[in-house]
Amino acid sequence: MTPAPLIAFRSVDLAFGDHLVLGKLSFEIGRGEIVCVVGPSGCGKTTALRVAAGLIAPTRGEVAFAGAPVRAPRRDVAIVFQDYSKALLPWRTAAGNVSLALEAMGTPRGRRRERIDALLKRVGLFAFADKYPSQMSGGMQQRLQIARCLAQEPAALMMDEPFGALDAMTRQSLQDEMLEIARATKATIFFVTHDLEEAIYLGDRVVGLMPHPGRIGIELSVDLPRPRDQVTTRESPEFLRLRHKLYDFIHASEKGGRP
Amino acid sequence: MSALAWRAASLAVVAALIALWGEIAALKLISPVFLPAPGRVWAALQHGLLRADLGEKLIGTVSHMLGGWAAASIAGVALGALIGSSRTARDYIAPTLEFLRPLPASAVIPVAIALFGLTPEMALGVIAFGSIWPVLLAAIHGFAAIEPRLVEVERVLGLTRWQRIAKISLPSATPDILAGLRLGLTVSLILAVVCEMIAGLDGLGQWVLLAARAYKSADIFAGVVLLGAIGVVANAAISVVESRMLRWRSTSLS
Amino acid sequence: MQRALALPAALVALAEIGARAHGPSDSIAPPSAVVSALLEALADGSLAGATRDTLVSAFGGLAIGAGLGLALGVMLGSLRPLDRLLEPTIELMRPIPSVAVIPIALVALGFGYRLEIAIVAFACVWPLLLLTRAAVRGVEPRLIEVARALRLSPLQRTAKIVAPAALPRIFVALRLAAGISLVVAVTVEIAVNPQGLGYGVMTAGQALRPDMMLAYVVWIGIVGFAFNAALVLAQRRLFGKAAGVEAAR
Ligand SMILES: Nc1ncnc2c1ncn2[C@@H]1O[C@H](COP(=O)(O)OP(=O)(O)O)[C@@H](O)[C@H]1O
Ligand SMILES: [Mg+2]
Repeated sequence: MTPAPLIAFRSVDLAFGDHLVLGKLSFEIGRGEIVCVVGPSGCGKTTALRVAAGLIAPTRGEVAFAGAPVRAPRRDVAIVFQDYSKALLPWRTAAGNVSLALEAMGTPRGRRRERIDALLKRVGLFAFADKYPSQMSGGMQQRLQIARCLAQEPAALMMDEPFGALDAMTRQSLQDEMLEIARATKATIFFVTHDLEEAIYLGDRVVGLMPHPGRIGIELSVDLPRPRDQVTTRESPEFLRLRHKLYDFIHASEKGGRP
Repeated sequence: MSALAWRAASLAVVAALIALWGEIAALKLISPVFLPAPGRVWAALQHGLLRADLGEKLIGTVSHMLGGWAAASIAGVALGALIGSSRTARDYIAPTLEFLRPLPASAVIPVAIALFGLTPEMALGVIAFGSIWPVLLAAIHGFAAIEPRLVEVERVLGLTRWQRIAKISLPSATPDILAGLRLGLTVSLILAVVCEMIAGLDGLGQWVLLAARAYKSADIFAGVVLLGAIGVVANAAISVVESRMLRWRSTSLS
Repeated sequence: MQRALALPAALVALAEIGARAHGPSDSIAPPSAVVSALLEALADGSLAGATRDTLVSAFGGLAIGAGLGLALGVMLGSLRPLDRLLEPTIELMRPIPSVAVIPIALVALGFGYRLEIAIVAFACVWPLLLLTRAAVRGVEPRLIEVARALRLSPLQRTAKIVAPAALPRIFVALRLAAGISLVVAVTVEIAVNPQGLGYGVMTAGQALRPDMMLAYVVWIGIVGFAFNAALVLAQRRLFGKAAGVEAAR
């Protein structure tokens, strides 16, 4: 584990009313690390991400970001929401949506255009700068949301099942684009998914949550070489071994027992 | 048939209906006291605009309508933003507004007359009072119905209060506000006419009522034609604004 | 609930204090005086008579206008060519403010119920026509295909498929028109017609009885609210809550 973690869950409890969703959740994410969180539906993955992002306050315990407790959302932590169509401004073009983040950051007007162009190029949307979200496919909208998040120059990207609503082909290309972005920006990534293969394919580490209340059930390091490849990585014996382990864990925790 | 042919045919229907009206008038199936021939209406329109003060009346009605509507729109959007973006304010104020909404705005005309007399200020007050409802209620709804995900985006981006209003809430409420403005414009025209009738203010309302008292049916129809024209133009203007401001809505996956 | 009542209570209290501090006036009256005027008018039957006059005109005009609008709406909604032919005619007629018709009707019909009913009817045609047309046109195409697969006759199709599918939205139009009918009736009374609640407000104002004038205004508000509430209730009963929400959009 990296000596100085960027994000640290320290014995976090979170309750909605008297429904305990997270119980004494503790784990850390190192700088530049890609950590994927998996677990059965309703186990608290989204809640954990929102606590880490400062959107909800923990009931007990704390999340530390770069050593300081998180009390509110911060601009250097960007969130990629799963429901991209709701997270974009429908009345702004692609360029305008990226611009929103720059306006929030106080980037001077004259320097915005250049940044917007660079960011749209990075996610392959340069040709669509003047299109509205309603004129884009789901994959393009999610790329646009990622571009807006990158405009925040985030130290950490929090992604909540970002590719869950996309078709298989689009999902794979976005996975590879995301890995390339992570490599180029060295951003730390907290990635929630329910797709076990996606977790292994992307992650340096995979954390499996168990439900009622949400807590760590399994932690696996993924020692697969980078850059990863959609065909060869997924065929390697280590990938299959991890997949098997993770599958057994999820299967057991869905039944409610310990693995 | 092509769209153009349909258009031509449908305009021919308008012409035919006017011709039918002329025929009915010519045969005196309906007394000319009630139904003037189209030619007489046209003549009354020309005469009124060129040699009488029909043009001034037109301007009077338009300015009453726009004055009251503009005041109501500004106040309605501002109040709607305040009330709509606060849950607490909504809980306290919205039920009262819902209760007051079905009240016919014209019912306050006598009250306004008692307060302000038969003055243009009275008309302005009544028109503004009547046309604020659609705008206010639409704006409250628009500001309250903001997508929760966008509220989170605001928080993550750390937008200032002013940035939130200008960049997120206001554009998000714009479709509702525009719908309210359109309705408000209709209401303001109606109330302008009523106020002019009652208070004898310079305007088409006064013109048509005086013409009715004198049984000058051609003059009545000339006034009504102009009132219809105001309605058509006002609606078309709002439609233009709407289609410009809501361009992002009409476009779809291409 | 408490929150809902706080504002009206505060306003009434403020009006009471303000009006009393102001002293006797020709244009305002404290709420307590308004309430006693309201009771007075209820007791001597003048309010009941005026309410009846207004409602007769409102309902009469609503029945005629809504019936006409409904028939036209169904026709235009199901016969696309007719709709296209009449489009500019309707677009030219619809924006004419209903009150502009007052002088025409006044010359032709004179004062009284007929004048008011005619104008209310003119105002009520449009919401019914437009919304019925949209409702009929908006019937799920799949349902029309079902009707064709079942080889229903046009009449059967209208009765069994189109009408039930379009009915919830048509009822919303009716609710809208009902609200309009009351507003227009009162407006015509205030503007020209010497009868009903609107005329009651006018005469009380001219008689320098602000308490009575405001009592009439409050009563009109109550009638309007009750009218609307009854229709909302009927709509929920007939079509369920979901239909109301769906169609109100
Ligand atoms: N705002 C909320 N209020 C009450 N309960 C909530 C709220 N958000 C989530 N929950 C509950 O918390 C549990 C975990 O939800 P979530 O974190 O969304 O799970 P996951 O993302 O793993 O599917 C679920 O049982 C859900 O019903
Ligand atoms: Mg989730």
